[in-house]
Amino acid sequence: MFSLINVNKKFGGNVVLNNVSLDVNRGDVVAILGPSGSGKTTLLRCAGYLTKADSGTLVIGGERYDMKKISSKDLRNYRRRVGFVFQTFNLYGNKTALGNVTLGLRVSQKMPKEEAEKIGKSLLERVGLADRMDYYPSKLSGGQQQRVAIARALATNPEVIFFDEPTSALDPELTGEVLTVIKQLADEGRTMIVVTHEMEFARKVATRVVFMEDGEIVEENTAKEFFENPRKERTREFIFKSSTWSQNGETGGESE
Amino acid sequence: MNERIVSELIESFGKLFMAGIKVSIPLTLASFSTGLAIAFLVALVQIAKIPVFRFLVRVYVWIIRCTPMIVQLFIVYFGLPNIGIRFSSFVSAWIVMSLSVGAYCSETVRAAIESVPVGQLEACYCDGLTFWQAMIHVIVPQALRTAFPPLSNSIIGLVKDTSLAYNVALVEILATAQRIASRTYDYFWLYLEAGLIYLIFCSVLTVVQRKAEAALERRR
Repeated sequence: MFSLINVNKKFGGNVVLNNVSLDVNRGDVVAILGPSGSGKTTLLRCAGYLTKADSGTLVIGGERYDMKKISSKDLRNYRRRVGFVFQTFNLYGNKTALGNVTLGLRVSQKMPKEEAEKIGKSLLERVGLADRMDYYPSKLSGGQQQRVAIARALATNPEVIFFDEPTSALDPELTGEVLTVIKQLADEGRTMIVVTHEMEFARKVATRVVFMEDGEIVEENTAKEFFENPRKERTREFIFKSSTWSQNGETGGESE
Repeated sequence: MNERIVSELIESFGKLFMAGIKVSIPLTLASFSTGLAIAFLVALVQIAKIPVFRFLVRVYVWIIRCTPMIVQLFIVYFGLPNIGIRFSSFVSAWIVMSLSVGAYCSETVRAAIESVPVGQLEACYCDGLTFWQAMIHVIVPQALRTAFPPLSNSIIGLVKDTSLAYNVALVEILATAQRIASRTYDYFWLYLEAGLIYLIFCSVLTVVQRKAEAALERRR
C-alpha cells in the first residue's frame, strides 16, 4: 500500500540514493538498517518530502506522487496520510505537550479546539503522558519528548509513520519507553518504516528488515530470515559486528 | 540653588513629566509597534526569499541605516510640503522613527528567526502547516524570545531618540524644558531635569524588560 519506486538523490557529486525501491504492505513494520552514510535517513526524508529527491515515484493507497515535484495541494493531502518522528524530537518549544499534538489539527485541518484537544488528550494517554499534557518540552525528559512526538505524528491517524532513528538521541535508560510505545503501535497493526540502529528492536518488532549500504538496498527479507539466515556476506558481517563487540577480536572489535 | 529655582523645578517637573506621558511615550509606542511590524515583514521577506520584494527591502534598510535620522525628519517635515505633502510634527516623527526601527530591528529579528532550529520548521511541514503558518504559530513566537533583549535595547534607545523630534517643532520633554528655561534662564537646572525625566522613563522600561523576560522564561 506504500511504495517508493526508483528513488535517486545526489548531494553534489555524491550519490546518496541509487535507484532505491521499497514496497511496504499494510501492517508491515519495516526496519531500515545500515551503517552511517548508507542513505537510510535520506531515503526517509525524501519519503517525507523534507529532502527533494532528484527523481522517484511514491505510491500511497493507489495515489502516485512525483518525489521531485509535487503541488502544494497534493503535498497537503499526502502529509495528512503520513506521520514523521524525528531523531531530535523537534517538539515545538513554544507549545505544551498537548499544544504540540493539536497544532497540526487546528491550523492545517482547521479543527475546532475542543475536538482537537479531545484527540490530543487521548493520544497522550496512549503514550502514557496523561499527567504531562500541560508541560513544555523543556520540562520533559528525552523519552517523554519523543513519546509526545509520536502522539503528534499519530494526530491525523496516518496510514504510514516514518521514524528517523527515534532512540538515537536518548539516554540508554530512556530508549525502552519509546520502543515500547512503537511496539504497541506495531501490535495495533500500524504500518511503519523505522530507520534504526537498535538491532534488538529490529529483531523483535520489525516484520521486515531492509539493509542499506552506499545508497543501495543490499538485502531485504523478513526479520526472522534476515537475522537467522542472512544471504549476503556484508549483511552477515553487519549483524555480527552490531550484535557483538567484545567476544571476538578478529573482526577488529570496532563498533559504531 | 535658591528657593526660587527649587519651586520652579518642582512646578516644571510636572510639565516635563506630562510632556513625556502625552507626547514622548505615545510617540515611542506608536513608532516601536509600527517599526516592529515592518521589521518582521522585512525579515520574513528575506528569509522566504521572495524575489523582487527581497531586493526592495534591502534598498530600504540600506537607505534608512545610512542616512541620519534628523535628515530624514527634516525631509519629511520641512521637505515634503514643497511637493504638497504635509504631516504634523507628531506624524512626521512617527513615520521616520517607525522606518528607522523597522530597518534596524529587521536584522535582529532575522537573526532571531534563523536561530530557531530548522527541525522546528520541518516538524511544522510534517504537521501539514505552510511556511507562513509555521512562522506565525511556531517560529516567530520562539524567535521573539531570543530577540527580546536586543529589542528592549531598541525601545529604550527610541525613548531617547524622541528628543530629536524637538527639531520639527514637536513639544516633547526637551522642548518643554527649553521653553521654560528660555523664560527663566535656568538652562542648567531645566536640562538636568529633562535628563532626569528620560532617566525615569527608561528605568521603568528596564524593570519591565526584566520582568517580561522572567515571564517568558516560565513559559517554556
